[in-house]
Amino acid sequence: MVPIIQLFGIDVVRFSIDLLTLYSLFLVVSLTLNLEAGYAGIPNFGKVMFVAAGAAAAGSASGQLAAFVLMINTHGNYTGYIYQVIPQIDAALTHNPGLSIGILLFGMLVAAVVGAVLGFAASFPAIRLREDYLGMLLLAAAQFFQIILSGYEPIIGGTQGIEVPNVFGWFFGDEIGVRDVVVLLVLGAFALLVFVYCEKVVRSPLGRTLRAIRDSELASRSLGKNDVAIRRKVIVVASAISGMAGALLTFYLGSVGAETWTRVTWTFWIWVILILGGAANNAGVALGAFSFTLLLKAVDQVKFNFQPFIPVDVNWLEYIMFAALLIGILVVRPDGILPEKPTLTLPRSVLGHIMESNVNTVDDEKSQPGKQTI
Amino acid sequence: MVEAFVTDTIVYASLFGLMALGLTLTYLTTKVPNFAYGSFVTIGMYTAFALYRIQKISPYASAPIAFVLGAIASVSMYLGVLRILSKRGSSLVALMIATLAVDIAFVGIFGIYSDYLTSRYAFIDSKQFYPIPDSFTLFGTAGIVYVAPISLGIVTLAVFLLLTQSKLGVAMRASVENPSLARVVGINVERVYVFAWLLAGGFAAMSGSYYVLWLPGGITGGSNLIVEIFAASVLGGLASIYGSVLGGLIIGASEVLVTKVALDQLGSWVGIYQKGIPLIIMVVTLLVLPKGITSIDWHRIFVKAYPSFASQLRRLYHSMAKLTRGES
Repeated sequence: MVPIIQLFGIDVVRFSIDLLTLYSLFLVVSLTLNLEAGYAGIPNFGKVMFVAAGAAAAGSASGQLAAFVLMINTHGNYTGYIYQVIPQIDAALTHNPGLSIGILLFGMLVAAVVGAVLGFAASFPAIRLREDYLGMLLLAAAQFFQIILSGYEPIIGGTQGIEVPNVFGWFFGDEIGVRDVVVLLVLGAFALLVFVYCEKVVRSPLGRTLRAIRDSELASRSLGKNDVAIRRKVIVVASAISGMAGALLTFYLGSVGAETWTRVTWTFWIWVILILGGAANNAGVALGAFSFTLLLKAVDQVKFNFQPFIPVDVNWLEYIMFAALLIGILVVRPDGILPEKPTLTLPRSVLGHIMESNVNTVDDEKSQPGKQTI
Repeated sequence: MVEAFVTDTIVYASLFGLMALGLTLTYLTTKVPNFAYGSFVTIGMYTAFALYRIQKISPYASAPIAFVLGAIASVSMYLGVLRILSKRGSSLVALMIATLAVDIAFVGIFGIYSDYLTSRYAFIDSKQFYPIPDSFTLFGTAGIVYVAPISLGIVTLAVFLLLTQSKLGVAMRASVENPSLARVVGINVERVYVFAWLLAGGFAAMSGSYYVLWLPGGITGGSNLIVEIFAASVLGGLASIYGSVLGGLIIGASEVLVTKVALDQLGSWVGIYQKGIPLIIMVVTLLVLPKGITSIDWHRIFVKAYPSFASQLRRLYHSMAKLTRGES
């Protein structure tokens, strides 16, 4: 069966590029959810809203900026003339790396601002309400937001969607394979940056304060921690990053529409990743995101081979499968692959030194991790 | 012929009352917002759709079947997922995400079922279908306009009688108020909870099968109603069954009426913001009146609104008190 192995061999590269691209996006969004739900104790059941808002804003604003800079006539109706405008923009961008990068950065900036504004709005209920009320509110708000996106045409043309300038076209002409590698590099770099940032945050005094607030709001308040301000900060930052992830997805796909993001993908799957990897553990989330994406891509790869033998659409089986997976994890291993660990505030060598010199301090340093909220 | 918005209001308000009642029953017992509740409604929609299209059975006749199917789904979800998790000491957030998972799984099941309907009976509209024609009209108005409020009335009355007059109902109230104390006096709390979930799933599916007599249904037909159902339940205070019925009526009526006024005054573009009305009501309720409409202290509001009358009452009370103490 050499041809199949050959085919499989060719597929491996393609498969890995797709896998890693999707992984980077899932990683970024699930890290922000980890910051909110894992560390700060804000269960965000409306994640899709923040990702979609960033993507829609970036997709719409970047194209309009490009049209404005390149002086392309949009007849005052950008979404209406999208099919005339975008090819002109793309043609100009292939010879203009500076403008391409500028538009990419502008789109991400707009997405971050829109995400932050939405996050700020969401922080008002988030700091007041109990977990169950907040979950209901955010889920309902996300549902409403999607209805608006699909109905209000001036932003992204409703359900039809709009095309987005190809900001990666300048690199090696318009070769599809090369473009995907460039996209992967950009997304991977962004994901790495977000990971490092999240690790820095949770190892900082702010990260420990977050856990303290999550575990006992009253106790942390009595120690003078401003839980309202800190929670607001977390939700704004996490939403801004989610928005940027949405913007990158838009530039990668080259189009954006109200149906691009579903509650299943950008709320439910992100939660599956968080629970699978282990809440309040960034390394766990990274591992969870990888296992989940691998599983998802493997199923995608396999499902069309098995489709003839299964009487129903495999996509539906996927829904049921991941739901069962999540409930299974909750039953068997609710803490995820890598459970939460106490953060060591000092390097190990220094800790060892302290341990040798003073036995009493050791007991304090080894204090137990807070109770798990998830 | 009655104006369309009047009949719309009646049907919408009654059905949301019925749906909110069921959601509140599940919330009262397990204290988890059930994100899969919309899918129970979809079960009713598909029962009505399939039986009407295959056997020409009217949704009124298939509503009891929908009730049974919804009840089965609801009870199996409670026993198969939530009880196992809560016995393992899962947190509230874990239970919430589990109910979301069940909702997603249900959407998958409806997808498979609609694929089956398409391939077996060639119903090409099985993923998204138009309202089923009503089987009778009375005084020129579709039957559902009468059936929906009457059903809500009967169900509310039945629940009221159950909770106040029957032993099971008293046991239910006891289990909700204080589960450990209820266990001490020999109530099988688990069985009571199962019964509450049975009723909840049944009411949801029943209202779903009525719903498709008036409005279109589909795979996510019930899940899309989650905004209104939660808003109604939150407005009712999430802890009061009668409050949730009232909340459903208010949400349903205000959604139709406000949209009607807005459409007349502002034009057709406001149509897509219709679901914003329940959402806004929900946000305002949560921020202003977190315990819902039944927590309003009407006496205090009355006293505040008419202080002169209240002060006269107080003076009267004090003089009476003096009299009873023997002072003059």
